[in-house]
Amino acid sequence: MDPKLDLLYRLADDQLILGHRNSEWNGLGPILEEDIAFSSMAQDKLGHSLQLYNLLHNLGEAEPDTVAFTRNAPQFHCCQLVELPIGEYDFSLTRHFLFDHAELLRFEALATSSYEPLAQVARKLRGELKYHALHANTWMKRLGTATEEAIERMQGALNFTLPYALGIFETTEAEPEIISSGLFIGEAELKSRWLESITKILAQTALDMPDLNLLTPVNGGRYGQHTEHLQPLLDEMAEVFRLDPTADW
Amino acid sequence: MIQSFDPRMNRLGLPDAPVTAATKTALDQFGTYEVFHQKKDGAPYVYVGPVHAPEADVAFLFAKEQFSRRFACTGMWVVPTAAITVTDYVGDQESAYDFLPLLPKSVAPAPGNADDTAGEAAAYAAGEEDYDIFHLKKRGKAHQHVGKVRASSPAAALQVAKAVFGEQRPVVNVWTTRSADVLRSDEEDRDIWSTTPEKKYRDAISYKVQDRIEKFKAENK
Repeated sequence: MDPKLDLLYRLADDQLILGHRNSEWNGLGPILEEDIAFSSMAQDKLGHSLQLYNLLHNLGEAEPDTVAFTRNAPQFHCCQLVELPIGEYDFSLTRHFLFDHAELLRFEALATSSYEPLAQVARKLRGELKYHALHANTWMKRLGTATEEAIERMQGALNFTLPYALGIFETTEAEPEIISSGLFIGEAELKSRWLESITKILAQTALDMPDLNLLTPVNGGRYGQHTEHLQPLLDEMAEVFRLDPTADW
Repeated sequence: MIQSFDPRMNRLGLPDAPVTAATKTALDQFGTYEVFHQKKDGAPYVYVGPVHAPEADVAFLFAKEQFSRRFACTGMWVVPTAAITVTDYVGDQESAYDFLPLLPKSVAPAPGNADDTAGEAAAYAAGEEDYDIFHLKKRGKAHQHVGKVRASSPAAALQVAKAVFGEQRPVVNVWTTRSADVLRSDEEDRDIWSTTPEKKYRDAISYKVQDRIEKFKAENK
């Protein structure tokens, strides 16, 4: 695949699927204010995916709605982390923390991408992503230093989520060209920045950072291999669209 | 199990009859914080409403999405409700400052001199602090920041505020809080609000639903 398309599909699909997943908390969040904040950020992610699908459309791919709503799981390039069900709030917050740190650093790096339209989108999203990371860090620090139950649950969520989070950085065949053409710094460099960034926050909590060398990254998502959870999500997300694909809404 | 058209509800596997909820103690919830925002650079901070939160930093997270989700601003403050001292409310043509209780002489502030740097340092050393002052000009409007004063207590701050801002009227109500109790957004973080105006999809009005309903009705007469 063309390196630009390869990169953009991975970015856009991550945003769409996690945005949809996190929106499932809407109306069910732990308290009203957090419900609104988390739903707003989910909506931001859908907005990001739209901007990225628009870039793909400008490169000759189908309309954003078509791309978002008519593909099946094996045609998605998202990492498996983003497709997992929302679970309990400890898991959803931990996924938000691990993903959004990578997202913030990824778009910071993309702000100087050699592909200017992508660099422009990345610069525009900076403020939003900053808030998302602030939100994640605040909760992580607070719950990670709160009661014994809170610390135990957050540690459990961290241990469970980290192998999936490592799947964010799974590379594709296009990786060498993505780096050499200056499109992006590459997944390995991003991962090392991410590790430094999350370690800094976790150090301010009672949570232990597991040894990443002992973990096996959950890969496959970038190649269309997904968990059993993605297809039902896609069916649910596209339910209205499929009733009348030409409707204007 | 509860069956819903909302698949998310079905996934929760909720029992049909709600479990009897344990009786909670009174006020078993987070405390409240009051939120102020600045609409544009140079404009005064204006009260927008409260949020529930365990701490000021969380209150700020919530305030950001509660009160700037749809309308952009350039800055935001949050203050614990309990840290705000409120005067009595007075009539629409009066000034709340005219109804302040008189302080004993020992507590009443000495008339200050703004350029008195040495005096200022001594005052801070003696335990005086900065207080932010907010006026409500009219019932039904919002409290608005008018400035800061230096004082040794909220009551003294109101007396100093009377001397500095007392000419303004009407002032239906005054709030004061120690400046140290105000969590203020960082100047360098102001880009967190920058894309709000573009998010038209957050406004019901941008979906032009009424237009479509009318068009549908016209076509199906």
